[in-house]
Amino acid sequence: MGDSSIPDWMKQWQALSQQSLNAWSDAARGATPGGAGMPGAGFEQWARAFTPAAAAGPAGTVDRLVDGAKAYVAFMQSLIAAGANAPNGIPSWSDALRQAFAAPGGNALFEHPLAQMWKGAPNGGFAGMPNPFGAMPPPADLGDMKSWLKLPAFGFLREHQEHQQKGAVAFVEYQEQVARYNAQMLEAARRGFELFEGKLAEREQPGRQIESLRALYDLWVDAAEEAYAEIALSREFQEIYGELTNAQMRLRAQIQQEVERLSVDLGMPTRSELNSIGERLQALRREVRAQRGGDALIDEIAGLRGEFEALKAAVKSSRAPVTREVPARTVIVEPVVAKSEKARHAKARKTPAPAKATPPVRAKRRAKAERAERAVAAVAPGNFASRIAKFADASLGSGRRKERPPADKADAGKRKKKKR
Amino acid sequence: MGPIKIEPTKALDEALTTQRKLAVALDTLRKVDDVDFGVTAKEEIYREDKLVVYRFRGDRPPTAKVPILIVYALVNRPYMVDLQDDKSLVKNLLARGEDVYLIDWGYPDGADRWLTLDDYINGYIARSVDAVARRARVKKINLLGICQGGAFSLCFAAMHPHKVQNLITMVTPVDFQTPENMLSNWVQRMDVDLFVDTLGNVPADLMNLCYLMLKPVRLNQQKYIGLVDILDDKVEMENFLRMEKWIFDSPDQAGEAFRQFIKDFYQGNKLVKGGLRIGEREVSLANITMPVLNVFAEQDHLVPPSASRVLGEHVGTKDYTQIAFRGGHIGIYVSGRAQREVPSAIHDWLAQRAGP
Repeated sequence: MGDSSIPDWMKQWQALSQQSLNAWSDAARGATPGGAGMPGAGFEQWARAFTPAAAAGPAGTVDRLVDGAKAYVAFMQSLIAAGANAPNGIPSWSDALRQAFAAPGGNALFEHPLAQMWKGAPNGGFAGMPNPFGAMPPPADLGDMKSWLKLPAFGFLREHQEHQQKGAVAFVEYQEQVARYNAQMLEAARRGFELFEGKLAEREQPGRQIESLRALYDLWVDAAEEAYAEIALSREFQEIYGELTNAQMRLRAQIQQEVERLSVDLGMPTRSELNSIGERLQALRREVRAQRGGDALIDEIAGLRGEFEALKAAVKSSRAPVTREVPARTVIVEPVVAKSEKARHAKARKTPAPAKATPPVRAKRRAKAERAERAVAAVAPGNFASRIAKFADASLGSGRRKERPPADKADAGKRKKKKR
Repeated sequence: MGPIKIEPTKALDEALTTQRKLAVALDTLRKVDDVDFGVTAKEEIYREDKLVVYRFRGDRPPTAKVPILIVYALVNRPYMVDLQDDKSLVKNLLARGEDVYLIDWGYPDGADRWLTLDDYINGYIARSVDAVARRARVKKINLLGICQGGAFSLCFAAMHPHKVQNLITMVTPVDFQTPENMLSNWVQRMDVDLFVDTLGNVPADLMNLCYLMLKPVRLNQQKYIGLVDILDDKVEMENFLRMEKWIFDSPDQAGEAFRQFIKDFYQGNKLVKGGLRIGEREVSLANITMPVLNVFAEQDHLVPPSASRVLGEHVGTKDYTQIAFRGGHIGIYVSGRAQREVPSAIHDWLAQRAGP
């Protein structure tokens, strides 16, 4: 094909493509001192140049950025290249897209940069722990291998052999589930392209057409996510995902058991032992808390403390001198007097005293005292003593409480006396 | 007329622009400062094991008499509610006179593997609530639960209604088995006993991978391609990196609590079906008789709106309000609209229920 067959815009395209490669190389040279700047390798060099800077930001961001940008640029380049190779010089974007995605179906779909993540999908989610056997190719005939691995073991080391066989079976079963999961992901990719074509068809009217590569990419993402959601929300996926996760865990458990056996042989502490200690420790903490009365009692104490503080504050704010002069504890104290003297006092009390006019200062004090009592009653309307008793019940138990009634009774009697 | 109308020269120009921006990014990324977070001053008021309860300090003393305690999820760090100066639920609540406290769960390690939901809800949360109540000299406080923390708050309020004045739930799953719930679909056939017995604590990286796989192309690729647009903007890059840090700064999950959460909430859906027991207590949402405000996000891919909006059908209160926010699971805290709408909605709702 001679130069005359190439339209002008195509020549410009080729010139710009060369400019693109040069730009990559320039960027790479600028980023990497002494970088060779090989065409096509610019991105890799550029990415490597980020390595020291990666520590400045959150780990992985630069890698993510580079990976995402690489995929996107690859997407753009594949479309541009497909357009450039259009036979009649007019780019057919739909054909270019099909080529770019190798769609519909086929393994090439998985090889496209944008579809690469589907391949990595088994490493995502609950099912996706780092796979210790990730680098190993799956056996060709898993079913056949399983039957061999289930052969009975004999002799002195039969237990060891059996464990190893179980581990190998767990691995084979895990690979089976990975294959099922991959099939789901491939289906998601295929369905994604179907939806993508549908979304493109909706954009045929003038004014709704896609005018940039970015808009095209965003549309593809919408379609891909929609397709993935269809699959990921299905009952079939639920079953496959669960089985994959469980297979992964069985495999890990087998590996852990082998490590434990080895640790025991070497006299090392094992995960089981640590778990056992941790479990006992937490149980002990709960027991201690329960013996201290549990959270309910602690709540009760805290509540009573709060109530007590409120009462103190109320009494203080009333500024009643009576409450300061006659605090509750003073009620307990009774002066020791001789019997004869007591009788004399009692006689004196029986004799009615002549009526006296209440001095104004004393009346004022009494009024203040009454106000203070009302304030106290407002804060804890008559239930303080009962809550204290409840608290004592809970904290001391009825047996111990029984040992203390005399003191309580004495207190009550003394309070009565004081009132009189 | 085809659906694609891309001028070849424009396409190439677009590719070159992308490349140039990537080249500039090297310079921008080297200049960005270390990202920090948690902008509001705070003081520690209670500590137990790895848990710390903080009280935030605003520019002026709070006017609200009843404090708010924020109960965040275990699966992410709680500084999302105070991410940066112009994206802070906490700061906006303080500015409106609220008295705001927060539970920081810390990072569980192997010693916490046996913590149960009872330890978390009737233990840690209960004692945190008491600490806040003592500090504020009140008997009841307002509880604001977020996501999984919202589910915990529902349980707490149902078991200890006498300690909760008002309950606010944000992006909180209630019905764990609605059709749009992808996470729920994935765990239904999972053998959780085998899972936890094998892993012990559930690694944070595993949880993050799981969340990323909810929208794999958007979260693993498109987001970073969108980053190209802001590569030459230092401030925007710092904002992006701050968010990126939050997303992946995740604690491991205590094994036993995880086991119970998946079994009873996701697989058993007991919060709405009944039969949920936390420790020795039964949880019935009908016991939630205090006023309830339920805020959920209409575009939430983690907790679909359908999972949240059923709350009103199950709680016992006659004073139930729900707000559907236009945004996603994260946007409800950090978007511009969220800053305008969410704190004022919470404050106004609380103010209407404040005593004389």
